[in-house]
Amino acid sequence: MSTTRAGIRWIRADLRARKGQATLTVLVVAAIVAALIAAVTLLEDGTNPWRGLFAQTEGAHVWFYTKDSTAQVVATREIDGVTSAAGPYRSAPATVVQDGKKEPAELRALPAKPPAVAHPVVTEGRWLDAAEPGGVVVERSYARALRLRIGAPFTIIALSGERHSLHVRGIADSAEQGFYPEWTPGLAWVLPETLDRVEPMLGRSQWVTGLRLTDAESAQVVSQRVVVMLDDELQRLYTWREIRAAMELDNRLLGTLLALFGVVGLVAAALALANAAGGRVLGQLRDLATLKSMGFTRGQIALLLLVEHGALGLLGIAVGTLTGWGGTVAVLGTTSVAPMPVLAILAGTALVVLAAVGLPAWRGGRTPPIPAAPALPPRGHLSRLARLALLVRLPPALVLGARDAFTRRVPAFLTAFGLAVPMMMITIGLGVWATLDNFAGHPEQVGQHAALHVGPGKLTAVEAERHVRADRDVRAVYPGVEVNALAPGEGRSVRVRAIGGSTAPYPFPVVEGRMYAEPGEAVAGQGLLDLLGVKIGDRVRLTVGGSPLIVRIVGRAIEPDSDGEVLSVGLDSLAAKDTVPPEFYALALKPGADPSEVAGRLLTESSESLDVQIVVNPADRLAVIRVVIVALIAVLTLIGLANLLTASALGLRDHAFDLAVLKAMGLTPRQVMATLVTGTGLLVVLGVGAGAAVGASVVTGLIDLQGHTSGVGAGIARPPSAMTLTVAVLVAVGTALAVALIPARRAARAQVPVTSR
Amino acid sequence: MSDPALKAVNLVKVYSGGAVPVHAVRGVDLQVEPGEFIAVMGPSGSGKSTLVHMLGGLDTRTSGEIWIDGTRADTLSESAWALLRRKKIGFVFQFFNLVASMTVADNVELPALLGGASPREARERSRHLLGALNLADRADAPPARLSGGEQQRVALARALANKPSVLLADEPTGNLDSRNTRDVLRLLGEVHRDGQTIVMVTHDARVAGLADRVVALHDGEVVDDGRITRRRTGTAGAVIDLR
Repeated sequence: MSTTRAGIRWIRADLRARKGQATLTVLVVAAIVAALIAAVTLLEDGTNPWRGLFAQTEGAHVWFYTKDSTAQVVATREIDGVTSAAGPYRSAPATVVQDGKKEPAELRALPAKPPAVAHPVVTEGRWLDAAEPGGVVVERSYARALRLRIGAPFTIIALSGERHSLHVRGIADSAEQGFYPEWTPGLAWVLPETLDRVEPMLGRSQWVTGLRLTDAESAQVVSQRVVVMLDDELQRLYTWREIRAAMELDNRLLGTLLALFGVVGLVAAALALANAAGGRVLGQLRDLATLKSMGFTRGQIALLLLVEHGALGLLGIAVGTLTGWGGTVAVLGTTSVAPMPVLAILAGTALVVLAAVGLPAWRGGRTPPIPAAPALPPRGHLSRLARLALLVRLPPALVLGARDAFTRRVPAFLTAFGLAVPMMMITIGLGVWATLDNFAGHPEQVGQHAALHVGPGKLTAVEAERHVRADRDVRAVYPGVEVNALAPGEGRSVRVRAIGGSTAPYPFPVVEGRMYAEPGEAVAGQGLLDLLGVKIGDRVRLTVGGSPLIVRIVGRAIEPDSDGEVLSVGLDSLAAKDTVPPEFYALALKPGADPSEVAGRLLTESSESLDVQIVVNPADRLAVIRVVIVALIAVLTLIGLANLLTASALGLRDHAFDLAVLKAMGLTPRQVMATLVTGTGLLVVLGVGAGAAVGASVVTGLIDLQGHTSGVGAGIARPPSAMTLTVAVLVAVGTALAVALIPARRAARAQVPVTSR
Repeated sequence: MSDPALKAVNLVKVYSGGAVPVHAVRGVDLQVEPGEFIAVMGPSGSGKSTLVHMLGGLDTRTSGEIWIDGTRADTLSESAWALLRRKKIGFVFQFFNLVASMTVADNVELPALLGGASPREARERSRHLLGALNLADRADAPPARLSGGEQQRVALARALANKPSVLLADEPTGNLDSRNTRDVLRLLGEVHRDGQTIVMVTHDARVAGLADRVVALHDGEVVDDGRITRRRTGTAGAVIDLR
């Protein structure tokens, strides 16, 4: 108790005496935590839209289809754990005719007044209105796939074969099912009267009910109850887990990147904190000794320091959480913040903070209790290097500064290391950026030689081929098909892609082995090799539509699609029944041609009969990484600066007395300043240089490792260009020197009294 | 007869960190009665600071015994020494060693709080002490604003805050001008008259002259131990040299 009071008083006084430094520490930790939370939320939101949609629509956790709307169906809302229900809504299958193509749809009857639970959120246009029975609201992914706009005609063919012309009144988001085309049929809402008109036969429709639960985790239990209750009545049932899984993008790449950044961000933060706390402890050794002489024990001193510096870190975590959370809530809405990752971040940073200040605190506790021994830096004679430098008449400020830089080995190492780690991460970030740029700039290197995939649509394959070959910007045309193949011993199918012939193959980016050159040879993505447990040179036997496909894998290609679980072969490797006519044509364009322009032209010239798809570059899907990189560079810079300020404060403290002596020896203030800046600057150059070098040497390996695990395969990584790296290093060193200059300037100008401490 | 306030028996300190072991203190026997004022004198390097640091537990002894108020203290752990210092020992150092980030009053209150006083008691005690040392108006100033003499008076107040059994002063005037030296010595004299036991290290014979008894150290050994009450100004240094 007595120690607590005394300790609190000392901590308060110490914090008051160094408000600026304490604030900076809090800010650094806060920035890291906020950035981590924001990054996690952004990624979570970008890669898994389900959570946001579910919250916006106040969605239902369990959905099921029944033959009829009976009392028993209604009774499911009485099951324990069910808070409310949506439906039962009548729902009928239909086919939507759009641009000559037929797409499966499900028409669902919803009232003009949107329900409380699982209400679609209209993003464009308006919701259904009884005054306009011909209006239909289309689910957004379905509308996008069909290129439907507000007011566009919506022509449907009912099961009876009858055509009905409706129009699009609104486009809405929903968490009722996954996105089209991963989840078919597409969803469209109509008024009950409209559905009665389109599909008068009740026997051809189903009833859909959604149940909202108190606890999402109880979905499994509730589903079982529903199955038991409805028995034969039940047609099918799915829960939010299936919907979420269907909506989820492949976020393994993003997740790993984020984890990497997060871990290194934490390490950098730990270094910054350890540096700040360690520097402070070094600066207070005398005070600590005095406290000991007054009767503080070793453990109490350590605890005191741990509490003081730990409290700063924890305060930073709190501030960071509030800003990170508040910021993402303000930008993305309340529900976007996933609690689990945020809690993990908080626990992780709290542990790191305590560990980082633990060591300096322990060190402070071991201070000998004789305060009379002043904490002087270890003195040494001039090193051979320094003597050599003086011999060749280097400016004395440079030599003295260089010597100062290494008088305290451990802090010097910590400073250099504390700058090297952020710099290394910045270099890695720049490498990821360069890799993305390379994806975007050279799509052929990531397996996207063709910018357009054109399906015949309403035309015959021959007509389609004539059209695409006639276009002036098309350089090469590769007919292709994609089929699903069953792999032996695997419960699921893999994709087999056949484009072009075996003798004039489509230029897949083969990074290992060689390209296939004759029928019966194939190249595979890393994901497929891992899935089947085969290696280059092995023979695999697959089944395509009942007929066997035996190929020898002769190479590995970069494969950004389907987690790399794709086998690529020449068209002549497949049976003719699967390849004639070709399903699509892959168009390689001439350099400089704009894919969307060509796509538009092909559509116009074929009077909208062709089915033209622009290939989505993986870099566009990964655009969120760029935001993460920018944010991380900002945070890392802050960490670097914090380290630097600690270092220069420590340097000044060590040299406060030397300064007077230096001046007495005849050094001008400018030379004194140069000495101080050289001392810090050398460590900066060392740290930044080492960080950039290590970063540049590991970046390609890291990205390739990531590529390997995500199935894309190694060979995608590009290091940052020499120019970028040089600029980054120069900017880092320049900023650091500018920052070191301010205190040095002040110190050089100050009148330092030559007194004892 | 009551126990001596402080007793050292055959106290030895050997610094064995360097290439050659340094014998700083070689078998010192010392007994300090309650209320006594002892000056430990000697040239620099004679081991007087080491001795007083060992007596206060700031430095560990190599061999020998230390007794404080009749209790053996040399076998205590570092933490136990710290707890003992709270109650029994006050330190005054040459360079004052005030905690720079705390005000004068806080510096004086810190040991009182540590000794278990309530914040109010601590505040009253510090007000009383600072008043007695003529520093009442500087209570809220940071130590850096005070002159050397004032800082040493604050250090003295801090050392006395817990009414220690023994006040250990290591060159308390070593860093002061003559006027401030006089002030501090006058204060030491006053607290001594109030019954405070004091062990003071100094190399200044005039300062030592204030004590009841002067112990002279040379090369870590006691070479003289005698009462000097009749000697007003001294040539104790010369005496040591002669012996």
